[in-house]
Amino acid sequence: MTDLLAAAIRIATPLVFAALGGILSERAGVFAVGLEGMMLTGAFAAVVGAWWSGSDLVGILLALLGGAAIALTVAVVAVRFRADNMVTGLTANILAFGLTSYLLRELAGGGGRPIAIHLTPLAAWPIPGLSDLPVLGPLLFAQPPLTYLAVLGCLALALFLNRTQAGLTLRATGENPEAVFAAGGNPMRVRMLAVIACGAVAGLGGAVLSLQQVGTFTDGMMGGRGYLALASLIVGRWNPWAAAAACLVFGAAEAFELRLQSFGVPVGSYIVQMAPYVIALVVLAGLGRSTKLPAAIGQPLQSD
Amino acid sequence: MSNPASSLPAPASEQIRKPPRYNSFRLQLRDNLAWRILAAVVLSMLCAAALIALSGHNPLTAFAAMAVGAVGSPHQIGAALNRTTPYLLAGSGVAMCFRAGIINIGAEGQIAVGGIGATAVALIWPSALPELAIAASLLAAAATGAVWAGIATAIHLGRRVHEVLATLLLNFIALLLVKQMLVRPLGQFGAGFLQSPQLPAATRLWRIPEVDAHFGIVITVIIAAGLSFVLWRTRFGFALRVAGNSRPAAAYAGFSLPRLTWSVMLLAGAVAGLAGGIEVLGVHRRLIEGFSLGFGFKAVTVALLGALEPMAVIPASLFVGLLEAGSLSMQRQIGVPSALVVVIEGLTMLFVLAATVRRV
Repeated sequence: MTDLLAAAIRIATPLVFAALGGILSERAGVFAVGLEGMMLTGAFAAVVGAWWSGSDLVGILLALLGGAAIALTVAVVAVRFRADNMVTGLTANILAFGLTSYLLRELAGGGGRPIAIHLTPLAAWPIPGLSDLPVLGPLLFAQPPLTYLAVLGCLALALFLNRTQAGLTLRATGENPEAVFAAGGNPMRVRMLAVIACGAVAGLGGAVLSLQQVGTFTDGMMGGRGYLALASLIVGRWNPWAAAAACLVFGAAEAFELRLQSFGVPVGSYIVQMAPYVIALVVLAGLGRSTKLPAAIGQPLQSD
Repeated sequence: MSNPASSLPAPASEQIRKPPRYNSFRLQLRDNLAWRILAAVVLSMLCAAALIALSGHNPLTAFAAMAVGAVGSPHQIGAALNRTTPYLLAGSGVAMCFRAGIINIGAEGQIAVGGIGATAVALIWPSALPELAIAASLLAAAATGAVWAGIATAIHLGRRVHEVLATLLLNFIALLLVKQMLVRPLGQFGAGFLQSPQLPAATRLWRIPEVDAHFGIVITVIIAAGLSFVLWRTRFGFALRVAGNSRPAAAYAGFSLPRLTWSVMLLAGAVAGLAGGIEVLGVHRRLIEGFSLGFGFKAVTVALLGALEPMAVIPASLFVGLLEAGSLSMQRQIGVPSALVVVIEGLTMLFVLAATVRRV
């Protein structure tokens, strides 16, 4: 049981970062379909940075930059040039996939074979005292550094959105950008910054997978995690804590599915994997016309 | 109402209240489309050339190797045509949806389930009727694709879920459904990986001599031309274009928006499903895991690259097909990784999006 929970936490951690980023972007009114590509670039930058410099910290910083760089293309095309958010996000995913695969091979000197980088995954940082607690200690308080950061990130985002002036402006931009403009704000700048911040945070999510958990980068290693994060922030109704909880549920479902496989129960394992997407659809269908979705999401800013 | 355009009075602007959120006007193509798209393609090629140069290769040699790899021999042309087929079919369906302002990005899933439908019918088709095996399999592919699009449409219209989210989420379900079908009902026992048994010989698509492409490309070009005719020469196509330009105007002119949405989504689903069926019958001869990976997203690319005009999607998808067919030989000969093609596709799409399509 504790193994299952530990696996759920491990699987959920990259998703939580991506979902937090996605909330930033969507609360500002820009659909976050590009999460997959932002995570992928972050994962790539983290591994290459850490390998190149020998420092995990450099890897993590580069992950922030890499995610932000892909997000910048989304911000420019979708916000500045007012192209469709969703299609732009999809495109960013394609571009990120191509760029990372290409660079991974060029780092090996060209040809079809990618460079093989193997790093030691980030070690756990047990919290003194708390980690000695029975059962809960090893489960919750002996995690690698970025996992703690994910929890702090939820707290920080919740505080930012609900308790700060900037958070209010961001939410207002997602609900009614004209009002922000009338109040003297600059909705375009808010949206662009929100998307770029989304990319940085999602890039960190990619780093969790590549740097903290696997220690290497492979082509398209996100394998749909960005879309899963998108599903979880919908299920969590654009609320950081609820989205993180949804990530944990999806993580538990995947852990459970892996467990079924290892017991040699192949029946319906792919059906189990469908669960997050089905749940997201059901939640969206349940929301229906309700106003939980940011009102101006996906709507371009008026030119003036 | 024979000509809806002439009977459309100019309503006072205050009569049209702010349209409901999801019915608002979505995509607008700018003027000078051909030039803008050409500029976008050139820009992305320049960016790719810079990338090649930065990694220490000669861009011109790389592009030359790619061109030779794409059209150097009849066989290579055939390979490029086979690559083009699914993009063109699914892309022209997507173009019809986008014209109507419906952002259907579900082609990925519709192609995948189309493959399931074609495989299932091809495997169970009675051997006494070999003449109809191909037609039946392809019809089944189109029907399953349409059903998958229908599910998305029902969720979109019935529960007001944004169509992008409905179609996107269904894509992942469809890809997993392919795997699940390959585990249980359609899988080949003991194959070691997820694939169906080889399809019976009666379902082999006729191949064009010399170039050795399957005749799916012929069906596909005919369908693209047909869709273009529908778009520009029929009442339904007119309604699509009006709805794409202004939902309130379409409603005012008496077009039923739900019915339009249903029709165009089912149509796009059917052609995408057909693309999956043709891919299975013509290329792989069996259903395999991931046989259609990325096709649906590239369908969106070629639809936009073709300015949402089915006839123009023909050169657009050919461009992508040739790039992909030529990239492997570029990698072999010059050492530039073939993943460069994906970079070019992504960049082209970003530039096309920035330069041609805007939302109002």
